[in-house]
Amino acid sequence: MFEAATPLERKRYYREEWDVRKLPEFIARNIHMREFGFDHTGRGPSDRYRVFDDEKRLSRFMRARFPFAAYSSVAFYREPGKRRGWQRSELIFDVDAKDLPVRSCNCEGVCETCLDEARELVLMMVDTLRGDLGLGDVHVVYSGRGYHIRVLDPGVMELGSEVRAEILRYTAGARRPRRKFIHSGESYEMEHFSIPLGYHRVFTERAKHVFLHMRGDERIENVTARTVREVVKNRELLLEDRWGEFKRRIGPRVYPRLVAGVAGINMKMVDAKVTIDLKRILRLPTSLHSKVSMICMEVKNPETFDPLKSAVPKFVHERES
Amino acid sequence: MVSSLFINPFSEDAREIVRNYGSPDTIFEASSALLDTVKRTRGQNLDDNSLLPGSIGELAIKRLEWYLRRQRKGFDHGDYAYLMNPEIEEYDVIAFYVLAQAAGAGFRRGSREVRLVVESAGALVEDRFRVLGSERAEIIEEVLIELGSEGTGWIELSELIGSGKLRLTDLILHRGRVVIDEDEFLMTFQDRITDRDPRSLYAALVGLELKETLISRIIMQKTEDYIERVSEMSSTVEPHPIIIETAERIRETVNEVTSFRGGPVKSAGQGKLVPDAFPPCIRGTLDGVKSGNRNDAIVLLLTSFISYARLYPSVFRDRTPLKVSDLDPDLRVVREEILPIIYGAAERCEPPLFEDDPQEKLNITAKLGFGVHDELEPEHEGESKWYTPMSCEKIKIHLPDLCRPDELCRRITNPLTYYNRKRWELQKEKSEQEGED
Ligand SMILES: [Zn+2]
Repeated sequence: MFEAATPLERKRYYREEWDVRKLPEFIARNIHMREFGFDHTGRGPSDRYRVFDDEKRLSRFMRARFPFAAYSSVAFYREPGKRRGWQRSELIFDVDAKDLPVRSCNCEGVCETCLDEARELVLMMVDTLRGDLGLGDVHVVYSGRGYHIRVLDPGVMELGSEVRAEILRYTAGARRPRRKFIHSGESYEMEHFSIPLGYHRVFTERAKHVFLHMRGDERIENVTARTVREVVKNRELLLEDRWGEFKRRIGPRVYPRLVAGVAGINMKMVDAKVTIDLKRILRLPTSLHSKVSMICMEVKNPETFDPLKSAVPKFVHERES
Repeated sequence: MVSSLFINPFSEDAREIVRNYGSPDTIFEASSALLDTVKRTRGQNLDDNSLLPGSIGELAIKRLEWYLRRQRKGFDHGDYAYLMNPEIEEYDVIAFYVLAQAAGAGFRRGSREVRLVVESAGALVEDRFRVLGSERAEIIEEVLIELGSEGTGWIELSELIGSGKLRLTDLILHRGRVVIDEDEFLMTFQDRITDRDPRSLYAALVGLELKETLISRIIMQKTEDYIERVSEMSSTVEPHPIIIETAERIRETVNEVTSFRGGPVKSAGQGKLVPDAFPPCIRGTLDGVKSGNRNDAIVLLLTSFISYARLYPSVFRDRTPLKVSDLDPDLRVVREEILPIIYGAAERCEPPLFEDDPQEKLNITAKLGFGVHDELEPEHEGESKWYTPMSCEKIKIHLPDLCRPDELCRRITNPLTYYNRKRWELQKEKSEQEGED
């Protein structure tokens, strides 16, 4: 599992298993407006500015060239072959299991555990995008080493990078939640966990995810290694949402710093560069991730998706037997 | 009875007043009625005539002057008490448009002057809400309706969010809608709120405060848009001489109050940090430094480098001394981005810097220009100087272990220059080969 694919295996995959009709509808419907990019050597997508007028032409190319990796732009252009005439871009969140700053496994690369933790995070984020932000046309794609969330809601596709960064902060829980409030002229403090709605709820959920998956040797900005160990020692409380007691154990003076640190970690759980870049190319669903021999594919039901059951190409099974 | 004019210059009533005023010819003519209103204002200092606006044109300039002075030491509210007097509202609406038109006709988009005019419009709204008393809630509702922001979706506010005027995380969102109304709040969230009174939670989370913020930000955005329209128009239609004159007064006022010596700053301004462009000495410092060099590396080198790289990378080119708050008025960037980086590096030192030298926190505050204090407070700004990064020569002497010059280092004399150069190079060669897994 997770071994690189040989050129021969790639060729077999694209000729025997891959089928252009499996391309997600959200890609197929505007295929001629996207820029395509390919990596033929394993050293990055250097073959770019490609355009395919329809699925048939893409199919012919894939079978003939069986690329190491295939990408298409998140942007729609009037002239995709020149990357000119930008019209709009999908809103993207990239959660790569290999780069998660907090994950409970200790693997090099990816394993079943961290892939599943990435999936949990994606589920929460999709919930926020739909529930709080009211966005539709949200798709989840298994990338081979993590997940992409791709949003094609018309409301967001023309937004600029700055707003996208702000959406990322909200969705990922990447900003320290507000603590000071004013009511009838008096100022007082409320912790995130005592506010069961809005951004505070999002942050509480993400913080819980981080605390429950820490190994205890993480570095959190402005927080000592001892505090990190205390978090791990007391995190069972969070399973019953006993946040007040958890905070008392951590210490009221340290807790705000811990919260700030977690906001920083949450920001790193998602690759921000991808979200703010309007002209990125993104791994093409249905294509092969040759470094790990897995299929990049749209996930219809992220609640039950298991990449090891669904995203493993046939040649891997044959390789093992 | 206060009207919404006092808050909102974009209402139909306000536009009507401006239409009826007609040509700007008389803007700088003395108006005894205005002066009377100013003099009758409770708490107004009357001993110095130069404090009192005798014409609508002067009132326009005073609006800006008030904003420039209010954060500074020795500010006396009594000098500008009339700005908080609702009776001034009709003159003030015209003054607002004069100021905005002058900003559009006289300055380019994104300039410091335009930014200050926009910010002053927002700040004035916020301060005026505070003096409204019992009519506050009513006016808020009225203005919200005038601005059309009752029951909007957050996407309609995306321009405000993108420009940093409003944070998405400060809004209460449900299925894409911004929940502002109390009944909607209760209906939407009542079931989730178990251990407190939902009404008091509403008052804390939304209440009048968030509504006011929303109003002030929308007015800022509309001001910016208006200035932009004027700016576009003034390329085809010659602006009125009095508007040009007002623009000149804006320039003078900004220069005088902020005591610039080198003229307007062209390239100062915030930008995202590009860590890939950091010179070797800064990278070394960020990784954590061993005792010996530790204190100087964090307090002297890193603090000044990071703060200038983030807020004012062109300081050596522009040679205009600015304060941190000129570039980051609410100190949000300093608190949320700059200090965490510095504190993080301090934590990575061997042993962690603040563990045995907690007073170095005070020194970091001081090096940013906020005097020797534990926390960054706007009122302390100016008690010390905002330090520019030390030169490579000084680094070689004081922090020899950190100086590991690379190719580019040989061509520059200051780490900040390295940063600017490298950033430019990186941008130029920004790879075509970016793709994401
Ligand atoms: Zn793993």
